[in-house]
Amino acid sequence: MVQALSFRNISALYIFAALFAIFAIWVPDTFLTATNFRTLLDNQALTAIVAVGLVVALSAGLFNLAVGAEVGFGSILVAYLLSKQDIGIAPAMVLTILAGGLIGIVSGLLVVYARIDSFIATLGMSSVLLAGVAWVSNSQQILDLGASFQEVGTGQIVGITYPVYMMAALGLLVWYVLERTPAGRRVYATGGNIEAARLAGVRTNRVIIFSLAACGVLAAIAGVLASSRLATGDPTTGPSFLLPAFAAAFLGSTQFRGGRYNVAGTIVAAYVLATGVKGLQLAGAPIWIPDLFNGVALLLAVGLSKFQRTAGRASAIGRMIGRDRAGRRAEAAEAAAP
Amino acid sequence: MSKPLLRVRGLSKSFPGLRALDGVDLEVASGEVLAVVGQNGSGKSTLVKVLAGLHSPDPGAEIELRGADGVTVSGAEAQAELHFIHQDLGLIPLLSTVENLDLGKSHRGLGLAPAARREETRRARELISRFGASFDVTQPLVLLSAAERAIVAIARALEGWERDDHVLVLDEPTAALHGDEVDRLFEAVRHVAARGAGVIFISHRLDEVLDIADRVVALRDGRVVADVPAGGFDRAALVHMITGRELEETRVERTAPLGEPVLRVDGLLGATVEDFAAEVRAGEIVGITGLLGSGREHIAGLVFGSVMRRGGAVRVGSEDLPGGSPTKAVGQGVAFVPADRHAQGAVMTMNVRENLTLPRLGPLRRLMGRLDGRAERAECDHWIGEVGLRPAEPERALDLFSGGNQQKVVLAKWLRNKPRVLLLDEPTQGVDVGAKASIYELVARAAKEGASVVIASSDTKELTLLCDRVIVMRDGRAVAELSGDQITEAHLVRESLGLSEALPPDPAEGQHAR
Repeated sequence: MVQALSFRNISALYIFAALFAIFAIWVPDTFLTATNFRTLLDNQALTAIVAVGLVVALSAGLFNLAVGAEVGFGSILVAYLLSKQDIGIAPAMVLTILAGGLIGIVSGLLVVYARIDSFIATLGMSSVLLAGVAWVSNSQQILDLGASFQEVGTGQIVGITYPVYMMAALGLLVWYVLERTPAGRRVYATGGNIEAARLAGVRTNRVIIFSLAACGVLAAIAGVLASSRLATGDPTTGPSFLLPAFAAAFLGSTQFRGGRYNVAGTIVAAYVLATGVKGLQLAGAPIWIPDLFNGVALLLAVGLSKFQRTAGRASAIGRMIGRDRAGRRAEAAEAAAP
Repeated sequence: MSKPLLRVRGLSKSFPGLRALDGVDLEVASGEVLAVVGQNGSGKSTLVKVLAGLHSPDPGAEIELRGADGVTVSGAEAQAELHFIHQDLGLIPLLSTVENLDLGKSHRGLGLAPAARREETRRARELISRFGASFDVTQPLVLLSAAERAIVAIARALEGWERDDHVLVLDEPTAALHGDEVDRLFEAVRHVAARGAGVIFISHRLDEVLDIADRVVALRDGRVVADVPAGGFDRAALVHMITGRELEETRVERTAPLGEPVLRVDGLLGATVEDFAAEVRAGEIVGITGLLGSGREHIAGLVFGSVMRRGGAVRVGSEDLPGGSPTKAVGQGVAFVPADRHAQGAVMTMNVRENLTLPRLGPLRRLMGRLDGRAERAECDHWIGEVGLRPAEPERALDLFSGGNQQKVVLAKWLRNKPRVLLLDEPTQGVDVGAKASIYELVARAAKEGASVVIASSDTKELTLLCDRVIVMRDGRAVAELSGDQITEAHLVRESLGLSEALPPDPAEGQHAR
């Protein structure tokens, strides 16, 4: 119990409390309003969805640097289908989401069969997708997607917008799969040590492809919602999701589960970051504050994971960053060698 | 006698649950080549690592070197007087000799001053000529022979010696070399010694040791068991030194009759394995041994299918086991405990419970794909008791356990599958004595319950304790098969080295009769 409440394990909650207190005193009139929190919830829901998608990929040991471009591609594709192809809202959304999954599968095939490191494969994929976005949209906004489509991303139940509910539902689903099913166990095993997982009979190729596909589906959903909120397909929308999503996933991995990427920590982290950004904006901070805040948070999250290492357990981030892994390997090998 | 160059007194090194070195004393004099021999796990590599400063020794050890002007130095200063050449040589293959030599030097400033190419080339040529070698120093190392690369490594270690009487440590330098290349390397080593250096030569190739050493120190279980001048003994004596004849270990008693053949391997081909065939019956334990590079280390992976086969057929019971799919192998009841626990054996960052159930999660699956946590914990507790895990904490990450206990978990995860075929590669590498005994018990029990067991191991004692039959490999081929009373350590070592004809039978053999 003491461990469960220790600063290290739930630091994000303490940071959240601290941020809340600071802004409540600093800008009480604007910060402490129901509207503010509703907007905050709503605004960050898309980032949280993308971050949850990233959790799947990162848990399997995969960087998905294309996640921002996948959001952008989804948002333009749905807009294109609605305005240029004149098909219904539901089919357009379903097709877009399937396309997101397909993009993930292609990245997965590149990693598995072309044996390209996920970092590089998705970096390349990202550029290809951005080119696709520009091609489909002619680098122009696709306007007037219709009120009923806008309803998907802006409709409310008891004052809370649909994307928030979707974020909660998707988060729950991914949490269930990762934490409560054999499939999730195999994802974590693949991310923890792909060779050991393979030798234990885990079909690691399949895990890689499915993880990237799941990540692509979630990114596409976020893309659809992004277009829906403004009833506009914006070709520049995607890449801005990349960094906040990674920051949330990394910071989230330091929470609750002792260094493992996890859904709950990631969603909490996404909102902690958003609270900080929002509060600073309300306090009149300049426009570049979100970039600075998210960037610093990402660096801090990785720094935090180093602290965790001193507690004797490698963090998931630490393992991904090769330098760290090499260090631990050497230690371990020495300890094992007689 | 002049003061020794290197003096080590009372050197011990303990790891959790394992005493790798136990009060080691040794000395090296100027101009002397000292060979350190011993089996795997005898403490050779730990000794090198302590000398290199990678491990700090247990308190009470003295490591002294004779520094400049005969002053004795220790600690960090002593480090500077020791030069190492590790098995992998530590060179960068795509760079040339000149560039590799340059890497060892310190540069003034930022190291951005232009390289004096011609001068460096000349110096490099001069340096290697000291070893009686001459080759193109501007070629990338990949184009040189293994011996030439070793010479570059030695030249680099010697660069920057102000005096000739430093200590050079060669750790298994000949592992990648062929016969005449070894001669060239030895010539180079003798050059160095002749100029006044002390050389510590670590090897398991006994012929070489007899060839080059002035004095031989044999390590066994972390202790120095012999320290004798070379020349006064032959190979047989050396084998005795290494394998020893100390306290007898109790052989794991097994009496169950053997069943039908379960594992059949035919014409197996791999990168280092030529046409390997074997048949293992239910309840039988078959050992495979041989030197590093003999192919011994690849058999288990080839059979399991984690290493790509170039040919051959493997049958388990009446089914064919195709290569390349661990998933299929697991499905057919084949289990594989790989040699490298950290890289392949287990997911070190996951806990005991997660590792234990990973190969077979199916039976724990409930409605909607849910994993039955309660059933899983119960099963985990059962297996923790079964293998005697210490500490018995199912939720602890695997990398926080000692090597022996990690290996118990790896074994438990496979025994849980009730394997028909159990493949083990170096199952007790880096495992302490206590855990070794329980691992042997578990393996013997698996066999008793009807598994066909294959143990590939370089630990000959292990094979004498466990195996019904042992296949000895040399240069990728099975060259001998021993069974029953024939399985003695000395016999296995001789067969591995290909010395069987050269030696008379040893009267002390036969004590492990089954």
